[in-house]
Amino acid sequence: MSATDTPSAEAIAAQLARLREDYQARLPGELAALSTLASSLDGSDADSARLEELHQRLHKLAGSGGTFGLISLGAQARLLEQQVKQWLTASFNAASDPLWPAFPGHVARLSEFAESSHAGRTHTLPTRTASSAPAQDCHVWLVEDDPGLAEQMCRQLESFGYAVRRFDSIGDAEAAARTNAPDLLIMDILFPQQGENATEVLALRPTLRALGCPLLFVTSNDDFVSRVRAARLGAEGYFLKPLDVPRLINRIAEIFDKRRAPCHRVLIVDDDQELAEHYRLVLTAAEMEAEILHEPSAIIETIASFRPELVLMDLHMPDYSGPELAGVIRQYDRWSSLPIVYLSAETDLDLQTAAMDRGADDFLTKPIADTQLVATVRARIERARQLDAQITRDSLTGLLKHASLKESLEVEVARARRVGKPITVAMLDIDHFKSVNDTYGHAIGDVVISAVAMLLRQRLRQTDILGRYGGEEFVAVLPGCNSEDAYRLLDDIRQRFASVDFSHRGQAFSCTLSVGLATSAHAPQADRGKMLEQLFHDEELLLSADEALYAAKHGGRNQVQVARP
Amino acid sequence: MSTLQRVLYVEDEPDIQAVAKLALEMVGGFTVKICSSGEEALREVAAFAPDMILLDVMMPGMDGPTTLKALRQLPAASALPVAFMTAKVQPAEVAHYKSLGALDVIAKPFDPMALAGQVHDIWKEHVGD
Repeated sequence: MSATDTPSAEAIAAQLARLREDYQARLPGELAALSTLASSLDGSDADSARLEELHQRLHKLAGSGGTFGLISLGAQARLLEQQVKQWLTASFNAASDPLWPAFPGHVARLSEFAESSHAGRTHTLPTRTASSAPAQDCHVWLVEDDPGLAEQMCRQLESFGYAVRRFDSIGDAEAAARTNAPDLLIMDILFPQQGENATEVLALRPTLRALGCPLLFVTSNDDFVSRVRAARLGAEGYFLKPLDVPRLINRIAEIFDKRRAPCHRVLIVDDDQELAEHYRLVLTAAEMEAEILHEPSAIIETIASFRPELVLMDLHMPDYSGPELAGVIRQYDRWSSLPIVYLSAETDLDLQTAAMDRGADDFLTKPIADTQLVATVRARIERARQLDAQITRDSLTGLLKHASLKESLEVEVARARRVGKPITVAMLDIDHFKSVNDTYGHAIGDVVISAVAMLLRQRLRQTDILGRYGGEEFVAVLPGCNSEDAYRLLDDIRQRFASVDFSHRGQAFSCTLSVGLATSAHAPQADRGKMLEQLFHDEELLLSADEALYAAKHGGRNQVQVARP
Repeated sequence: MSTLQRVLYVEDEPDIQAVAKLALEMVGGFTVKICSSGEEALREVAAFAPDMILLDVMMPGMDGPTTLKALRQLPAASALPVAFMTAKVQPAEVAHYKSLGALDVIAKPFDPMALAGQVHDIWKEHVGD
């Protein structure tokens, strides 16, 4: 990049906002002029010049509206522009077109899009910080005219915790879209009763597209043209009937997970406070969470409490150098793989290499363009996250693996004892899972396993720990949760899971879960002498939960059992 | 190969000109010249000596493809990298624009914060840095 002193992201945002305000101030005048022009069309020879001018102005509006975030105004102007273009090139008299009489009305109503689309835009701004939003806050709109299928899909989606609103026709959904917006839109493609095809309607009428939310199609038509049309509309999924609902839900969960990925956390260590503040603003504008270390001696405490995913460090600082501080960080096992990136005016290659030898991951030379800073930090953190996920997480379910789960359990039990709060361990097992695999094959078995993982992730809190313990066995660690609450929670999950319909080659089946629970009988304060006992304690919890699970299996399966204290 | 520094943007709509200038200058750090028509671009291209040209497809008078054809007749612009800017980015049209000699097509409306990156990516992919 050639830029050396790029202005801050905030300055850019401020300038953009000013341009947008100017534009919006001029917009009503332009819309009024367009409307006057459209209503002056009278079927005479003078119309062709009027159409020319309308075409130009609508084209400009289509381009500028979109650029300034008025997405549906831009889209609507584009449609009207195309209409005018057709008339301009048509061999027949435009005034005889059945669409002609309604045209001035459409132009006059452009102003409605100028307002509603803006509201829609602010609604869909990414809220990545809401990392703990439970599934209940996910609003799904389902546009499906087949009452039986709609009923079934609603029930299934709701058992996974989604709030579903049903529409029988595209028109109803469009009407609702004027005042409300979902987080996800699922649409059938064919509406035989109304004679409508959803991909056509969406292409022609911008109301629903302007929602800007992820879109999934459900259809019995598996032809290439329909699929391409869906892809053009930006659909994130295309599901064939008969519907495999768990797969559909899997896709939905993926979509929401992606949006909910927590923002990147960066610790900035630089003695130049002004520069540090600049970096903080740049990273914050890129939707990262950044904190400045003001006191070098507090670096370990700050890392422990802020838990950065990357440290951005100045090489030369008056009291302690970057490599010295990096050395301190690396003395702690827990932070041995925390990415450290140096930022310095140092161009001496030998010095850079020496710094890298002492535990740094990358070296950026000042002055650095803001875009490059953001890109480097983001790429580093993403890579660290991927690596971490590969090491600690099960690839099918994304839950913790056995070893990482035990580590986390140990930490949580210790914490629970320290704060004097209860902690519950739940052990879950899919009933007769072997026969699912034998009857339907391993691919379907995997679908069943990921359905359990998804339910757990959606029904439990962000702070709960979830792991895949073995093949079809899961463990959930619920800090601060007593035995009664845990029972209610897990029994609810058990019931929801039992109501999930799986299907294979048109054959529907369902599965059940057995659950064992064990809650710590905690002592108010653990003294040092009890350290050893505590280590056994988390083993004991697992063992008790396992015994309770055995009791649930023995008692006839599809039930939750609580371990006797 | 040299780096991408000077960008000539041909666009008739003043509002989009303003946003594009901001996006390319402030976010991308490029040196930018805006021309409001194909004719103006033909007059200015030699003096400005851009590294790359961005061409709006649909403009009154000379449209993007016509401007490109005319630019190719000028010694100063016969081999300059060009990308089109358009709202219609369907695969067939992208292929058509590329067959006219454009490196790539950038979709409109563009994201002001991302435009410079897109331009830079196109440059990097086709010209190298």
